[in-house]
Amino acid sequence: MTTATKAAEVRVGPLTRTDFVRYAGAGGDFNPIHHDDGFAASAGYPSVFGHGLLTAGILSGFACDWLGRRNLRSYGVRYVAQVWPGDTLILSGEITGTTEDGLARAELRVERESPDGERAVVLRGTATATATAVHPEEEK
Amino acid sequence: MADFGKIGFEWPPYTIEVERGKIAEFALAVRASDPVYTDRAAARAAGYADVPVPPTFSAVGQHWAPKTSVEDDLGVDLKRVLAGGADWEYLGDIVAGDVLTVRGRVVDMVEKRGGRGPMTLIIRENTFVNQRGETVLRLRGTMIELGAAS
Repeated sequence: MTTATKAAEVRVGPLTRTDFVRYAGAGGDFNPIHHDDGFAASAGYPSVFGHGLLTAGILSGFACDWLGRRNLRSYGVRYVAQVWPGDTLILSGEITGTTEDGLARAELRVERESPDGERAVVLRGTATATATAVHPEEEK
Repeated sequence: MADFGKIGFEWPPYTIEVERGKIAEFALAVRASDPVYTDRAAARAAGYADVPVPPTFSAVGQHWAPKTSVEDDLGVDLKRVLAGGADWEYLGDIVAGDVLTVRGRVVDMVEKRGGRGPMTLIIRENTFVNQRGETVLRLRGTMIELGAAS
């Protein structure tokens, strides 16, 4: 068995302020812009928003489930837009080529869907993984 | 305002003790349901010496790093700072019980003009070395400070 060229889309959420606070505690990033609406407003934002590393962390789990955790050699993210309370994340990925070291290269993406159905890309990611059979235990 | 004199700035090295409870807490926070993060038997069956860390676990270093702030160290204003992105390079396993030494430095600061006006990109690199002297992780992060540099 080899990895599917396209990963099955996964939805996570809706995310709440509690998810942001849980991540702040787990990750140790207590920038008040992620949990204090007054501070967020004073910086010109409509409300608090999620840590980029929360979205990146959620996407990394998706990448591991798809490409195989032990196969992952690199993972990168570029933040495009914020994730707001109430948003649902839509995770997707596609194998786009091979690196010069023979690793599979995947492009990953996170979109947000707001409660009123507005959809936008919030994060773009890349991953490289050993391209051999991804879940060898499933070959039996 | 970011201080360009800080290119090459190195933070004092610090150590992280990789704890099982923190791994489970972090995995829950990022919705990673793979049992390898909580179940030692599942981790061993997958080939790890103990429960491994999720791919972005390096973020917990903030709990262990010396209590200085980027505001003070680099002269940036948190209200104008956004995370730009990050790149992790996985060079070896990191599992519960490991003790990692983290060395961080400012690799570069670049002025740019984007859709939101002038901005400064601050690029940091952290290297994680385990108790056996093996470099197991390299992390590059980009922080964006909006507004013109002084």
